[in-house]
Amino acid sequence: MSTTEGFKRHGDHSYIAQFADSEKEVLLNLCEQIIELLAERVDHGHEDPLAAMVGITSHDSPPEDEVLHRLLPNAYADQVDASEFRRYTESTLRAKKQAHAISMRIHLKTATDGIVDLDHDNANAWLGAINDIRLALGVRLKVESNSHEHLELLSPDDPLRGVYAVYTWLGWLQESLLSALIDDADDDAESQHGNS
Amino acid sequence: MVKTADKVEEEIRAIFSGDTPWVTIVWDDPVNLQTYVVYVFMELFGYSKARATELMLQVHNDGKARVSTGSREEMEHDVARLHEYGLWATLQRGDQL
Repeated sequence: MSTTEGFKRHGDHSYIAQFADSEKEVLLNLCEQIIELLAERVDHGHEDPLAAMVGITSHDSPPEDEVLHRLLPNAYADQVDASEFRRYTESTLRAKKQAHAISMRIHLKTATDGIVDLDHDNANAWLGAINDIRLALGVRLKVESNSHEHLELLSPDDPLRGVYAVYTWLGWLQESLLSALIDDADDDAESQHGNS
Repeated sequence: MVKTADKVEEEIRAIFSGDTPWVTIVWDDPVNLQTYVVYVFMELFGYSKARATELMLQVHNDGKARVSTGSREEMEHDVARLHEYGLWATLQRGDQL
């Protein structure tokens, strides 16, 4: 099977891409890893089971892992406010991000001939999941606004070169889905304007 | 244009109620694609493509942009949704900008 041409819009709000087996494997593997990474921090000794049930956690400090810190950032510059907000929202945020990646995994697992067919909501889940994967890889690659030149020049035997290739490919895939979606949004806006 | 009028109304309401409006700030991030940031602004806030693009460019060029204004609770909701989609956002009181 040839490599994917990315997402294309078909009819009303249907976004389709076909993936080669090797591409599907790469995407599935990345989904698994992000799902695992976002799993709740286990701190049985200090967790209040009732509080945990309603999504309140005992930890209020940002994750020490650099990647998790980027995925679950502080909402306030002020440390006290940031901790309070985190206590009430972090586990919901983890669950929502996991749900995006799980949705992506299900589509890939159930794809026939590598064909993935998304509606608008599924497409948003994919965009979120791909973005989280890119953020994670970006932290490991130490991507900064002017670092692309340096990353392009990694030596062929540097393992980060392969990671960078996946990172740029995911960017291209995300862009293809975005073009299909934004064309749609434009049409919607124009038709609304026409009716007013 | 509608958005600007909404904002003025919000500010006026805030003046009379004695509440200081809060703001949601989105910070520049080297990983997020420009098209993605535009799309997230359109989806989450219902902004036109032109308005969303203007905000994205402000984030890109100035390092940050104020993307929404309202009560503290509303801004916490906006920040949570932006975090869900991987944008780097914080909230703060509007008078501390």
